[in-house]
Amino acid sequence: MKSVKRLRSLTAKYMAIILTALFLIYLLIIGTSLLVFNVYDHKDPETLQIEKAWHQDARSLKNPGSEDINRMFEKWQNRYPKARLFWVDSNGRLAAGRNLAANIPKHWNAAYTANFIKARYDNDPFTVIAFPNNDASYGFVVFEIERKLLQPAFTEANADFMYFIVPGGIVLFVTVSYLFFLGIRKRLLYLQQAMEIRDVDGLPVAITVRKQDEIGQLEMAFNQMVDELRESRKREEAEEQLRKELIANLSHDLRTPLTKIRAHAYTLEKEALTPVARQAVNMIEQSVSKMDRLIENLISYTLLNAKKLKYEPTPTDVVRLARSFIAAWYPAFEKEGFFIDVQLDDLEQKHWNVDPLWMERIFDNLFQNVIRHAKDGKYIGLKTKKTDSYDALVVLDRGKGFRHKSSEKGAGIGLAIVDLMVKKMELDWKIESSETGTIITIIHYRSC
Amino acid sequence: MARVLYIEDEQEIGRWVTMNLTERGHHVTWLQSGEEIEEHLAHCDLVILDVMLPGLDGFSIGKRIKKEQPDLPILMLSARTAIEDKVEGLSFADDYLTKPFHPDELAARVEVLLRRFNKNDEILKLKHLTIHTKDMRIVNHETGEEILLTGKQYQIFQYFLRHLNQILTKEQLYEGVWGEPYIEGDKTLMVHIRYLREKLEKDPKNPEIIETIRGIGYRVRK
Repeated sequence: MKSVKRLRSLTAKYMAIILTALFLIYLLIIGTSLLVFNVYDHKDPETLQIEKAWHQDARSLKNPGSEDINRMFEKWQNRYPKARLFWVDSNGRLAAGRNLAANIPKHWNAAYTANFIKARYDNDPFTVIAFPNNDASYGFVVFEIERKLLQPAFTEANADFMYFIVPGGIVLFVTVSYLFFLGIRKRLLYLQQAMEIRDVDGLPVAITVRKQDEIGQLEMAFNQMVDELRESRKREEAEEQLRKELIANLSHDLRTPLTKIRAHAYTLEKEALTPVARQAVNMIEQSVSKMDRLIENLISYTLLNAKKLKYEPTPTDVVRLARSFIAAWYPAFEKEGFFIDVQLDDLEQKHWNVDPLWMERIFDNLFQNVIRHAKDGKYIGLKTKKTDSYDALVVLDRGKGFRHKSSEKGAGIGLAIVDLMVKKMELDWKIESSETGTIITIIHYRSC
Repeated sequence: MARVLYIEDEQEIGRWVTMNLTERGHHVTWLQSGEEIEEHLAHCDLVILDVMLPGLDGFSIGKRIKKEQPDLPILMLSARTAIEDKVEGLSFADDYLTKPFHPDELAARVEVLLRRFNKNDEILKLKHLTIHTKDMRIVNHETGEEILLTGKQYQIFQYFLRHLNQILTKEQLYEGVWGEPYIEGDKTLMVHIRYLREKLEKDPKNPEIIETIRGIGYRVRK
């Protein structure tokens, strides 16, 4: 089988989708960094600017006195009116301050100072501590401000990106995946439907292969299977034809010599024969008839068993059919001196779905059996019967019954054919046989 | 009596049938294949055709004959008994007899066919009646009177004569004569048979010509 080209395979397609999605995630991260954190247009955050400026201003105080410091505080207060500013001098005294909180102590000892620094480090409020003139001996100046009053660390201008593009990316990925699987599903459903379509011969129909991927390959495999099936059906039909031909020929080949035997026996019969010879000719004649029937039955039985006997059921008026059968057999019964008792009345349902030729065969076999095995009774009856649940055709004789050994055996196969045919036509039948006669009932259960 | 064209490749059977039919008064032309059939067709009343022939098979020959001469009766004679063969045979042939047949049976069927196709210029004697089949003249030979029938009576009686010795069901008779489906309970046929009997029978109460077969139908027997 041809393998699918890698690029056309569904795996490749799906891998492409996944890789695109992954790539998109990276793209999103980078994009977010670029747009949100403003990497290119980088400026120090305000805190850092404050820190730098505070230290610079503190350092620039060469000989810091409270005047200088107050001037510096004023300048800063103009920029940050809400900022708290204070100076703790070398003696730990709170020497100057603006906007001071109530809990700021007047005197700072080493422990409190350490604690203060620890508490404020990288915390809110944002706090910068610097030494004036860069010299600890002047004490330290403190700037503190609530962080919320400062500009945020990043630009919020592009924050929409986070709200729309990222979910958009996810939706896009889901949509593409969904469409991909929807496409596969649609094709699988189409394939399923196509597989269920049957041609006039009961075989599936080949599918048009539209794509060269795994499903396409499945379709090709299916088409190949259909071809093989059709091929095998053809072979089977050819074998069937051969078999039928063989049986027909066999029948022909057996009957031709039989005809010749009959011809010669007939020629002999015309000669002046002794009574013994005449009887022998008569026996030959009877044997020919018997052989003929046996061949016919054997072939029918073989075909029936192989379910190869032509069967064409059609709604048929069986009362009329039965009348025509007994009409055809009438001379034979008459010749044997039978009393022929025909009582064919209307049935509740007289149209049965049967093959008339099969019905003929059934009655031929039954009548034949009566002539061969129930000659002594000199009676043949053909009647209709109605009960609450079924309609029936009844064949009666007054022979010695089935248990009595008839001089002519071989009724078995004839009745076996009747049995197979009755069942195939969805009829039923029963045999009631006693010393005083046999009743065979062919039953058709009424459909509601 | 009749000119029979018989096609059979099997020597023994061919010789025997030819002899037998000749003994019964027919003029038989026996061919062993369907090749030279054309020149004989114009001069025969009936064709007896075997199915298995060398070259062109009996079915094909039969179909061709029927196409050219639809009123020439064909009797298929075959050792093939499959239903399909019979059905195919009877799709064009007028009768299908399977081997091994009895010569009496063959002779009877030949006669039925000849009568059905009106090939016999026969003078039939049924009890007190003499019937000239070709022009359907019916004479009571005991009284010397000619019996005249109406159109329908004539058709019914002719149908009986064409199916002489056969038992005809009322459906068969009605459909054969009227050419339309028989409806259960229809008394038309019975009424016509009664009138026909009044003309034909010596004693219409105890009919001898048109027998009633109880439960089945009627029969006219030779």
